[in-house]
Amino acid sequence: MELLGYFLSALTPLNILMALGGVVLGTIIGALPGLSATMAVAVLVPFTFTMDPATGLIALGAIYTGAIYGGAFAAILVNTPGTPSAIATTFDGFPMAKRGDGNLAITLATLASVFGGLVGGIFLLLLSPPLAKVALAFGPPEYFWLAIFGLTLISALSVGNTLKGLIGGCIGLMLAMVGVAVVGGDIRFTMDTQMLLGGFDIVSALIGLYCIPVLIDLVATPDPHLKVEQGNRGIRLFEAFGIAWKSKFNVIRSSVIGTIIGILPGAGGSIAGLVSYSEARRSSKTPEEFGNGAPDGIIATESANNATVGGGFIPTLVLGIPGTPPDAVILGALLVQGIKIGPTLFAQQGEIVYTFIFGLLIATALMLPAGLLIGRYAYKSIASIPKTVLVPTIAFLTVVGSFAIHSNLHDVQMMLVLGVIGWILNRYGFAPSPIVLGLVLGQIAEQGFVQSYLIGNATSNIVGMFFGRPISLAIVALAAFTLLYPVLFGNRKEKARKRAVAAAKNYAETDGETAKADEATLSEPVINPMAHLKGVIAKPRDTAGMGIVVLLVLMAVWAITQTSEMSPLGSVFPITICATLIVFSIVLFAMNLLRKPAGAKSGDQTSESVSRRIALIVVMGFWVLAIPLTGFWVAAILAFLSLARVSCYEVMPAKRIIVETLAGFAIVTGLYWLMADVLLIRMPSGLLF
Amino acid sequence: MRKFAIAAAVAASFFATPAFAEYPEKTINYIIAFNAGGESDISARFQQPFFEKLTGQQAVIQYLAGAGGAQAWSQLNGMEGDGYTIMGTNLPHTILQPMEKDVGYETDDLTHVYFFHYTPDAIFVPADSEFQDLQQLIEHAKANPGVVTFSGSGSNSSNHIAKEQFDELAGVTTTYVPFSGTGPAVTAILGSQTTAGFNYVTSGVNNSEGMRMLAVAADERVKAFPDVPTFKELGIDLVGGAYRGIAVPASTPEDIRQKLSDIIGEINADPAFIKQMEDAGFVLTDISYEDMPEFMAEKKAEYRAIGEKLGIANR
Repeated sequence: MELLGYFLSALTPLNILMALGGVVLGTIIGALPGLSATMAVAVLVPFTFTMDPATGLIALGAIYTGAIYGGAFAAILVNTPGTPSAIATTFDGFPMAKRGDGNLAITLATLASVFGGLVGGIFLLLLSPPLAKVALAFGPPEYFWLAIFGLTLISALSVGNTLKGLIGGCIGLMLAMVGVAVVGGDIRFTMDTQMLLGGFDIVSALIGLYCIPVLIDLVATPDPHLKVEQGNRGIRLFEAFGIAWKSKFNVIRSSVIGTIIGILPGAGGSIAGLVSYSEARRSSKTPEEFGNGAPDGIIATESANNATVGGGFIPTLVLGIPGTPPDAVILGALLVQGIKIGPTLFAQQGEIVYTFIFGLLIATALMLPAGLLIGRYAYKSIASIPKTVLVPTIAFLTVVGSFAIHSNLHDVQMMLVLGVIGWILNRYGFAPSPIVLGLVLGQIAEQGFVQSYLIGNATSNIVGMFFGRPISLAIVALAAFTLLYPVLFGNRKEKARKRAVAAAKNYAETDGETAKADEATLSEPVINPMAHLKGVIAKPRDTAGMGIVVLLVLMAVWAITQTSEMSPLGSVFPITICATLIVFSIVLFAMNLLRKPAGAKSGDQTSESVSRRIALIVVMGFWVLAIPLTGFWVAAILAFLSLARVSCYEVMPAKRIIVETLAGFAIVTGLYWLMADVLLIRMPSGLLF
Repeated sequence: MRKFAIAAAVAASFFATPAFAEYPEKTINYIIAFNAGGESDISARFQQPFFEKLTGQQAVIQYLAGAGGAQAWSQLNGMEGDGYTIMGTNLPHTILQPMEKDVGYETDDLTHVYFFHYTPDAIFVPADSEFQDLQQLIEHAKANPGVVTFSGSGSNSSNHIAKEQFDELAGVTTTYVPFSGTGPAVTAILGSQTTAGFNYVTSGVNNSEGMRMLAVAADERVKAFPDVPTFKELGIDLVGGAYRGIAVPASTPEDIRQKLSDIIGEINADPAFIKQMEDAGFVLTDISYEDMPEFMAEKKAEYRAIGEKLGIANR
């Protein structure tokens, strides 16, 4: 009954307005890769000092939950996670949007996010003090195994191309090692540059690896970015409800996984999304659809990542240990308000805390109408605006987003370089997702490993540390199950596979790239290892892949020579990864030696323009170099106009040119204003502006 | 939300005014070199409302985390020196980092304006630990060399140094386990993942039920914990911790540095601020701009000696 009273006090018009405004602002910020909830929340904190504490906190919580949800938009519409939490949303969201199901994907993401958010919020409301113990039960070995579990997803993501997936994972893990090491304090692989001291920022890598390839391929053909949906089917809410209802176990399981992982201070939304995705795929009757536009993939990720919001507040409020950076900012705001954090918080200061939690729940529920409305227009506009505006706008967003992270041009340069490398690697079968997984999980795995080793060594129980703890063993078992599942239940899969062939054929008409990989895997049975090997060797020789692994081996050897100056703590992980990378590379090289050389290479489809691709990269390169000279705004305008030309395939009437140029000015100026004057990001001023 | 939009518009309209008749006359960017939630962030958050009350202007906190703070500090002098960009700075970090390796800045590159507080290191054990006082922990460590594990925030950090000094002064050998920040390090103590932890006193405030503080590395007992003895009282001459202050780009004019130092000093003298900070376990210090050269010279000598002992004084 007491709770009901708090619920009613949260329902003031001002609070609801704050929740709605927060959700909308958060969704927009989350949808723009690089702009984060942390920034928005940090800027808004001072305003909450003058408000009623609960009202201020509701606004902050609403922005946070909106931003986690908003990340799905960029993931679905431009294949770039708006926040790291939405990494796994790209796997199925973008394929869905490409084939014209963008509205359905967004509606599903909205439903899943709202449900996941509510589940996380209800756990926060009812079970916080006991659940906070989960955070304490997770020690270094558990984090290590959780990261390893996350990495097993690589094998699922790269079916038919496992070796390249594993090599990609090693590349990502190595990228995660660059910079100042947390354990040991070594400065690693920076090649004595300032730029690499802070390592590769995950967000800037995400933007580069996912978004730049989209841009490069976008200018290569006159085809539209997304297939426009046939007929006006609206937001397809009922259809989405139907799908979500059929997947109710997936929704519930993912929400619970999200809440629990949210409670772990060292994990966060990205891992929650990846683990739920992995579990959803494993338990699915049609796992081969995952990665090709399976609604269940979106449902799993989005319900899990929004559940982490409520979950993350559990250790924040009970233990004073924030799970994520936005939690930490909100924790700071709470402390300044004079709220005493701790297990007694719920009993002694129930009024503020429960009003806040109810406000969060209300904000989550408001995501449904707000999200559906925003989603409807977002998909429509992305699908219908001409390429001459779309390409420069997305390109501008990549630069803005990677710059905004640290107000530093180094991140923009790294984003572009990683993007171009990622595009090349992807051309030759090294997909970006394993690299991203390695980058996201590398630090967690390393810290967990070294800490476990140190503690185990001190207590002379290294084996027990890694293999003697119940939670660790449960995670190891899950990881092993995920890896071995395809082998153990191959038969069931085989049937499903046949069913999928029909779907894939159908799909091939809409998307050549993905389907090609698909057919290759479909043609070989998995149950018989010898036949599998024969099938692998029967493929034509992959000369480019061989070249790439030679380069990788050289890099790995260089990296190993670098470790001689490091402390033992700092070098054990890089050496292990390099050795693994070398082994995988040699296997790939040897396998290709056994293969017959391919005949004349089929080459690029003639309809794709190489010169435009190069032009895009060149323009973006000049853009990044010009910013310190001309200032951010001028460089952006110039680049916007140049990219409009690069992506133009038709003769445009003068009127359209003028309209689109004006639109360009508006977009650049609007976002510049948002960054400089609303989020107060320091913009580089050049000689001209 | 509307309020925010108006304020943003007001801030924007001031954007073009270069002169500073009465500093500060617009919003100040207060950059923190770490992620949100740590001591640097929390103490800046405490200052925030007082800054606004005193000057009528807001200080907006932004985070520029990376490389243990070096990412932000190495960029400081490239920022605009008009007094509207200020940055949190920490000791011993800004002395030890450049001493060990080239991290993109030298200690003397930073223009410190004020050090406004200090968080002493302290030893914590989980609430259900067998060790009731420091002596028991030392005896256990003596009997079992290397077995006692201390969690702490980062390598070559204040926590790490305190642990090394403790080993030497108490004549024991223990194992240091670095974590990626105060949060994870405290979680490890609360969850009994390590025997104990070297952390800042402030960590004891939020988690007073989950862990026990055995000793504080300060000259005097900390006001928030009057019952916890100092190491000195227990016969171990260990005093250490982290100072936090504010630095400005080198191009900032003298009168603005002075004015800023005065503002921070005034905030430090506000009884409400003092109470908030002391309740949260911070120890206020008043090292103003004019005291800075002497203070820095003293600290540099002190940390150089420690760095040499630890073998990290490479430069």
